[in-house]
Order: sequence, then C-alpha cells, then structure tokens
Amino acid sequence: MKLEMGHIYIKDIQFAAESKIEDGILYVSEEAVKAVALEDEKIKSVSFDIAKPGESVRITPVKDVIEPRVKVEGRGGIFPGVISKVDTVGSGKTYALKGMAVVTAGKIVGFQEGIIDMTGPGADYTPFSKTLNLVMVCEPVDGIKQHDYEKAVRFAGFRVAVYIGELARNLTPDETKVYETCTIKEGMEKYPDLPRVAYVQMLQSQGLLHDTYVYGVDAKKVLPTVLNPTEIMDGAIVSGNCVSACDKNPTYVHLNNPVVHDMFEEHGKTINFVCQIITNENVYLADKQRSSDWTAKLCKMLDLDGVIVSQEGFGNPDTDLIMNCKKIEAEGVKTVIITDEYAGRDGRSQSLADADAAADAVVTGGNANQVIILPKLDKVIGTLDYVTKIAGASEETLREDGSLEVELQVLTGATNETGFNKLSAR
Amino acid sequence: MQNDYIIITNNPLVPEKIGGTHNVEYEEISYEEVLKAVRDRIHEGHTLLSHPLSGSVKPNETPYKSIMLSAGKGEVDPRSVVIIENAIEACGKFMFKSDKYKPEVYDDFQMIDWTLLESAITSADVW
Repeated sequence: MKLEMGHIYIKDIQFAAESKIEDGILYVSEEAVKAVALEDEKIKSVSFDIAKPGESVRITPVKDVIEPRVKVEGRGGIFPGVISKVDTVGSGKTYALKGMAVVTAGKIVGFQEGIIDMTGPGADYTPFSKTLNLVMVCEPVDGIKQHDYEKAVRFAGFRVAVYIGELARNLTPDETKVYETCTIKEGMEKYPDLPRVAYVQMLQSQGLLHDTYVYGVDAKKVLPTVLNPTEIMDGAIVSGNCVSACDKNPTYVHLNNPVVHDMFEEHGKTINFVCQIITNENVYLADKQRSSDWTAKLCKMLDLDGVIVSQEGFGNPDTDLIMNCKKIEAEGVKTVIITDEYAGRDGRSQSLADADAAADAVVTGGNANQVIILPKLDKVIGTLDYVTKIAGASEETLREDGSLEVELQVLTGATNETGFNKLSAR
Repeated sequence: MQNDYIIITNNPLVPEKIGGTHNVEYEEISYEEVLKAVRDRIHEGHTLLSHPLSGSVKPNETPYKSIMLSAGKGEVDPRSVVIIENAIEACGKFMFKSDKYKPEVYDDFQMIDWTLLESAITSADVW
C-alpha cells in the first residue's frame, strides 16, 4: 500500500470573514467553525480561540488534539467510520496541515485532564506548545450524561478538523513524503536479508474517557488485528481518552505516530517494516489473555524477527504490556517495549506495576510523578476551575501566587509512550 | 441473579446500579482497603477477574475502586496474587488526596469507576 503525504506548512492562524489558506496563513471564519461544531444539538455553545507558541497562554482542560488533514486521492476519507464512510484508507494522496492543531477543551468530568502551556517550563514538556492551536471550548446542553457529552466533543473536534483540512484540498504541498509497504510475499522477495519487524500498538480501552476507536469501532471490542501503517495517517485510529494526559495518545499522535514514521525511515534499509498490529488494554483479565495470545500468534504467523511494542497508559496496561512481551518473546520474536514510569515523586519506586525477565529492552517516556511548578500565565483558555482536579493535581495545587504545583501527569503528552514527547535522556 | 462472580467495591453507585441483580459486596472502606480485601479473598482461593488498577485516575486520587473476583474457590491462583500485590505496592507511589476534591467531583469519580467495572461485566457476561 502506498500513500503520498503532502505537507502544507501553516505559519499563522487568524480569524477572518472567510475561511481559507493563503501563503501559509490559515484564515478561520469563526461563524463557520461555530456552525460546524454546533451541528450536534447536544452542544449548547462553543467558543474558539487561537493560542500561539511563546504566548502566555494556558489551555485546560484539554480533551483531544487533532491535526487537520484532507484526502485528495484514493479510497475513503479522513477519519473513516467516524466522519467519513467506512472504507479502507491509507493509499492515494493525503494533505496534512503541519505546524497547527485543533484542540478541544471542556469539562466532561470534575477531575478533567490536560494542560498545554504555550510558554514557560510547562511548554518544555508538552509537544503541543510548539503548534499554532485553534482551541474550541464546548459547553453541553443542560442535563446531559457524561457519555453523550464526551462523544459530542470528540465528534465536534473531528468535524472542525475535517472542515479546516478541506481548505487545503486544492493547494500545492510544500513537501511530499511517500510511504509504502509491501505485501508479505513481496517484502520477503524484495528484502530477503533484512529482519522482518512490526509495530505492536496497544490501545487504551477501558471505559468512559478511557477509550480508543478503530474505523469507528470501540477498541475494547476488537480482537488484535493487522493494519497497513499508512492507514493511521488517514485517521483510522482516533482518541476518546484523556485521563492522565501525559501518557495518552491524542488523535494528533495517532496521525503522526513517531514509531510508524521512524520505522518507515528504516524500511528497506535496516528493517523490513511488515505491518502494524493493534491490540487493546481491557479491564477484564480474560480479555487480556485472549488479546495477548492473539498478538503473539499474529507475530508468529507473520514470521516476524522483531517487534516494537508501545503502551498507552499506566497500571492496568502494564499487565498487558508484560503479557504481550512475554508471549511474543516466547514465540522467538524479539521485543523492544516503550512505556513510561510512575516511579514516585522521588523517582525511587518500582516504575511499572508488572515486570518480567523477557522485558530486557525497554524505552521510557519519563517519570509521570515528577513534580513541576507551572507559573501563573496571563491568559487561560478553558478554565482553571478544573486544574485542581486533574490526575496529579488536587485542591491544593493552585498556590497563593497563582502558580501550580503538579506532577507531569497533567501535561498533555509529557511522557507519551510512542515517543511523541519532549523528554529525552539524550 | 448473576452468581459467577463477586464484585468487591466501595463505590455506592455499584450497589445502586446492580445490587439487585449481581453479587455486590459493598463496604465504606478506602481504596487501599478494597485492594487488601480482594487480596484476602484471593488467598481464600478466589481468582481475580478484573484488573485492580483499571482506569487512569490513579490510586489515592479517586477514592473508589470496584474489583471482580470469581465466585467459586479453588487453589490459590499465583497470577492473581502477583497482580494484587503489585497493585497494593503501586498505591504507595501516589500522594493521598482523595479527600481534597470538591463534593460534586465524587459523583464523577463514582461514574468513571462504574464505567470501568461495566466494561468488565460486559466481557464477563459473554460466558
């Protein structure tokens, strides 16, 4: 499967009478994007704002971050089974608006997640301090159930991102990258001497605000399966989770998954990147056994030499991670696992809630318990009312001088387990 | 009445939702005490059916936890012992602040714990 990704670099975002992209500037009609968001009657009101890198702005509580894209050639459309009709995506030509994001914010539950600081020490930890952000804060109709509100905000973000992406349909990309994978037989013939390597991606799948969707299907109801890695670039996987924002994958990360992109860089050079295998992280232990059995079985059937396994979340998924690692290794397939750590505020506690000798190649995204002081910023998009209730924060979080004492857990993407974060030991 | 499993919980929403149809053992105890109650049952021969660290709301942040165990008893299941012991140890890594939230937040914590349990019930009831 072959996908041409056209990158269109956005240098600025401005509100204007008409939505368009000209000379790398995205002009947004506030009226038009409001109408797109309000198509769902469960949303009572929505406000839009723009946050730029370096500004004294704090965005919270962040629900999702989305990169606008448009499918210009080939089957299907962006976000299949969610916004576009169900059709296999990942081939043809897609344009992405680089350097910007649509950020959804709004209180769904009282301990809501996610901070993006556009400046200061917090900005060093979240990758979304470097994007021009079109932020939408959605208020629901009165008396709405949390499930309905979560879904309404999730879909509103995708609709707005698709609307913005469509503005690029007739533009010429600044840069084009081509991603191509082979069929099983082709790959073996073309790269007989290269190790056969796949990417095993574990998806958060536990309940309200802890879910992920694949072609619109709730990931806790799927059996492990195989994707062409280009499918994710058209939005085959989307986020419905944001609790403990440091190690959850917003939709932006699924679209730009660095494991997939780095493996493509090595494809045909040092490895034969065979495919992406997705599996879930359910609460029920028999589901964990079934899914890890199937993941290991697929690795064996595909005659893989090695896999990279990425986790999403902490605690419950540590068990899935270790089960996957052990069972895949037992099939004779080498593993490298990517996780993050909850090693306590002093970094001295056991990092994971599970372990095994088979897990002898581990990459970490950082310690989510690490404490950080976030200074008061001039402007808040969203509300600070909930900052005290995010994971890693409490009522005592907001200090007298307006600064916040929090753990890295609260910062969107700070310890991301696909490596999409800014923490590094390098 | 569902008799294949027991739910140990300190979340009042659970008996309210399914107390009449499921085997719910509700007690007003702490998150950690729920884990320890489950550990004791595992040593009596019950098997762990749902993960004790379900959810991304961390121990000591949410006060609520619901865990599913087999109703039947057998030999002590070593895997269940390892998982519950690791979960109890993990509790210690998080600062206790379950008592530091505004009252309305507790309803949301209860709701999230309920949806995590509900996903396990959906899987369990397939059998």
